[in-house]
Amino acid sequence: MASLSLKHIEKVYENGFHAVHDFNLEVEDKEFIIFVGPSGCGKSTTLRMIAGLEDISSGEFKIDGVLMNDVEPKDRDIAMVFQSYALYPHMTVRDNMGFALKLRNVPKDEIDAKVDEVAKILDLEKLLDRKPKALSGGQRQRVAMGRAIVRQPKVFLMDEPLSNLDAKLRVQMRTEIAKLHERLGTTIIYVTHDQTEAMTLGTRIVVMKDGIVQQINSPEHLYNKPCNLFVAGFIGSPQMNFLDALVEKKGADTFLDIAGFKIKLPADKAAAVQDYVGKTIVAGIRPEHLLDGRGKEDQFCTITAPIEVRELLGAEAYLYFTLAGKQCTARVASDVDLYVGMVGTMALDLNKLQLFDKETELSLLWTE
Amino acid sequence: MTQNEKAAAAKKRNHAIMITVLILLFLFFIMPFILVLINVFKDKADIVTSPLALIGAHGFTLKNFPEAMAKMDFFNVFKNSLIITICSTILTILVSAMTSFVIVRNGKWKMCTAVFALMVASMVIPFQVLMVPLVSVYGGIFGILNSRITLIFMHVGFSVSMATFMFHGAIHTNIPLELEEAALIDGCTRWQTFWKIVFPLLKPTIATVAIIDAMAFWNDYLLPSLVLTDKAIYTIPIATQQFYGTYSTDIGLVMAALVLAMLPILILYLFLQKYIVAGVTSGAVKG
Repeated sequence: MASLSLKHIEKVYENGFHAVHDFNLEVEDKEFIIFVGPSGCGKSTTLRMIAGLEDISSGEFKIDGVLMNDVEPKDRDIAMVFQSYALYPHMTVRDNMGFALKLRNVPKDEIDAKVDEVAKILDLEKLLDRKPKALSGGQRQRVAMGRAIVRQPKVFLMDEPLSNLDAKLRVQMRTEIAKLHERLGTTIIYVTHDQTEAMTLGTRIVVMKDGIVQQINSPEHLYNKPCNLFVAGFIGSPQMNFLDALVEKKGADTFLDIAGFKIKLPADKAAAVQDYVGKTIVAGIRPEHLLDGRGKEDQFCTITAPIEVRELLGAEAYLYFTLAGKQCTARVASDVDLYVGMVGTMALDLNKLQLFDKETELSLLWTE
Repeated sequence: MTQNEKAAAAKKRNHAIMITVLILLFLFFIMPFILVLINVFKDKADIVTSPLALIGAHGFTLKNFPEAMAKMDFFNVFKNSLIITICSTILTILVSAMTSFVIVRNGKWKMCTAVFALMVASMVIPFQVLMVPLVSVYGGIFGILNSRITLIFMHVGFSVSMATFMFHGAIHTNIPLELEEAALIDGCTRWQTFWKIVFPLLKPTIATVAIIDAMAFWNDYLLPSLVLTDKAIYTIPIATQQFYGTYSTDIGLVMAALVLAMLPILILYLFLQKYIVAGVTSGAVKG
C-alpha cells in the first residue's frame, strides 16, 4: 500500500487545451479518494496521469516518495478498473485475472492459487472458465475488480467503474467496493460524476470543475461546509436551493430579505454578512432543511409558496415551488399532506443555511 | 382483394423474382466449375464430343490425373505454390497488421496519415502498369528474378496496401483503446500489447485477408510468369500452361490440373469460412 503526492500538476494538450490546472493532493496510505465533478472537469485526465496513460505537462507526481512522472504504467505498481471494464475478450475469466501475474513470470501454481482466492472473495468461482461475452454486466465488473485485486498493487485506480451498471446493481456494487476497501486496506483513487457514489465511498472527496480543484475534504465537510456555490450545488441530491437575498440591518439584528420574506439571521451567520449590509448575496438551503412549517411559525422563519409539483418517492416526497423566479425543492416525509395547488409553508432550518458572495461565488461561512 | 392481401401477394411475387435471379446467377457462376468436374473423369474424345454429358461414351476414367501430375511435375510445382502462397500470406498479414496498428494508434503523426494515404492510393494502380518497370529493375538492375524469395517479396509488396486498409478498419472500429491501456497497466510492453491482445482479436480480419490473399497468390499467373523462368521453381498456374499447345490442347489434362489446383484453396476456404463472415460483418452491428 502506498501514499501519493501530486504537486502543481498541470495538463495541457498539444492543441493548447488546458485540462488540469495546478492540481495538488497528498494521499495517505489506505485512503479512499474520490475525484468528482461534471463531464470534462479533468477528473479522468488526472487519474490517467496517475496511471501513466497521459503525460504530465508539469508538476511532480510521487508514489511513496519516488518521482513517477516518466515511469511506464507497468512499472508504477498500480491497477486500474476501467468504465468499460476492458476485459480481454479472447481470454477466460481466469486468464484475464492472471494475465498481469503471467507477464511477471509468476509460477502457474501461484497464479492459480491467487486467482482462486480472489475469485472466492468476489464470488466468481463458477465463472472462471467463461469468456467475458458470456458474463452479465455485474459479473464483468467483478472480474475487472478481481483482475486488479489479484496483483496486490500499491494503488487502485477506478475510472467510473459503476457507470455501465443498472441502478440496483450499482448500489449493490457500491457496497461491495466499500467492503473490499475495508477488507484489503488499499489506497484507492476513484473517479465518478455521481455525487452519491462520492459521498458514500470516499474518505476524502476532490471536487473539480473546468480542470480546477474546488475543494478537497471529507464528505461530511463538503456537505456541511461547501466552499463555493459550485460545490454546494454539486454535492447533495436534490441540489441545494439558491435564492438571492438582500442583507438588511435593523438595530442589532441582521435580516435577509428573500422574495419579501424577512429572515432573521442567527449571530454566527449575521457576523459573516456584516460587510454585505445593503447588498445582495446568495442564500443556499438544502431541500432536506426546508421543513413543513405549518404551525411552527413562532419557532422558525417561514416562507410560503404554491406547490407546483409533488413527487412521491416512497418514504419521502419532493415538493417543487417557485420563489423569486427560482425553482426550489423541499424534501419532506411522504405523510406530509401538501399537494399541488396548495400553498406550502416552509420552515427554514437556519443552522443549515449557507451564504455566498454573489460576485465571487465563495462561501461567506467557509472554514478549513 | 384487401390492401393487406395485395401487399402480401406483391411481397410473394418479389420474393419469387429474387429467388429466380439468384438461382440464375448461381448457375452462371457454378457452371464452369461443374464443367471441370464432369469432364475431368472423361477421356479427351468424350470431352470434345459430349462436354455436357455426365459420363462419356468411353466411360468413367481417372487416367487424366496421373498423366497431368507427371507432365506438370505436380509435386514439385505444388510444393513451390505452397511455399510461395504460405510465406507470402503470412508475411502480408504480419506486415500489414503491424503497420495498421502503428498507423491507427499514432493518428496524430502526419507521417502515418501520409503513409496510409499513399497505400490507399497505390491500390488503384493496375499491376500491368508496373509490370515492365518491375521486371527491368529487378531483373536488369538487381538481377534477382527467378527466385521464390523475390516472388514472395513482390506478392507481399502488391498485397500489403489492401491488407493494411482492412486491418486499419478492424483496429479502428473493433479494438477499444482501453484494452490496450489495460494491457499496458497489467505490465505489457507495446510489442506484447500487440501480440497478446490486439493480434488475437483481429482473427476475423486475419482470416479474411488470409483467404483473399492466399487465393490471389495461389492462382496468380502473370507475376510468377514474369519472375519465374526456371522450370524447377514453377507454380501450378504456370505449370498448367504447358498443356495448352499452339496446335492442340489436351483438355482432359487441363481439367485434371485445374482440379488439382483448385482443391487446396477450397479446403482452406472451408476452414476459414466462419471467420470470413465474421470479418466481413464485424463492426456492422454494435456488439
